[in-house]
Amino acid sequence: MSYFCIKAFTMETIIRKQMIIHPEVMDLLNSQIALEMHASASYLAMASWCDQRELVNSKAFFYKQAEEEREHAMKIFEFVNDNGGAAVSPEVHNINNDFDDLRSVYETSLEQEINVTQSIFKVFKKARKEDDFVTEIFLQWFVTEQAEEEDKFRSLIDIFDLMEGMPLKMIDERLPKE
Amino acid sequence: MKTFNNFTNTIQLHKTTFCRYTLVAPNKEVQLNFPQLLQLRQRINDLTQPFNLEEIIEKENFVLLFVADKQHLLYLDVTQLLDLKEEIICFFSSSKLVLI
Repeated sequence: MSYFCIKAFTMETIIRKQMIIHPEVMDLLNSQIALEMHASASYLAMASWCDQRELVNSKAFFYKQAEEEREHAMKIFEFVNDNGGAAVSPEVHNINNDFDDLRSVYETSLEQEINVTQSIFKVFKKARKEDDFVTEIFLQWFVTEQAEEEDKFRSLIDIFDLMEGMPLKMIDERLPKE
Repeated sequence: MKTFNNFTNTIQLHKTTFCRYTLVAPNKEVQLNFPQLLQLRQRINDLTQPFNLEEIIEKENFVLLFVADKQHLLYLDVTQLLDLKEEIICFFSSSKLVLI
């Protein structure tokens, strides 16, 4: 169907009284919640892989990462509801539980963090385009946080380069727990 | 009661009071509060994703949709489903002439 739609009343007089965030930005925030929860579940899978192999520092690190990602999701979840929107509890599926080695676990983590960063940028851009200043300011913390997260994983992968050829257990002992 | 679409649609949304809305379907009128309206928007957006729409068309060619916290059940064929999507888009859009 194709037709013209002329609104009799503006968003300021209808939806705006109920919610301060833009509806399409809300949809992207809900997608972001799903992505953060997926990242959390993915880190849990990595923690389990490390735990089974007695890589104690790495397992502690990934359990902590799983918690952090869930906290990020919850932060967005509450933000959406607090500002009149409807946060949606996401389905989480397609979690990879198989890894080649410890280095690939960290490399996968970095890729995952980059995806999360790009997704945050996408929501940020949309908020800016729609003049949704509340969401834009809210997301500034996430932009900084993602830059720190990416830096953390790059530094950890550097340790693998520096300790190339060393026993896995010894590398794990040099890795931080959080 | 305010109408938000100047074209006759099989399904329409109206604002009745500050936080009450009416969904006028062919066989019934459903009163909605704002969270219920958001829930309806979410369901319609899901159902009209290309993959889901294709599945509906290949199977029954209609959907049964609970609305207003499961107080009402709507029967929507694909045309009505798309009409409702258009109506919701208009309802949530800002004030301007929109070619859909």
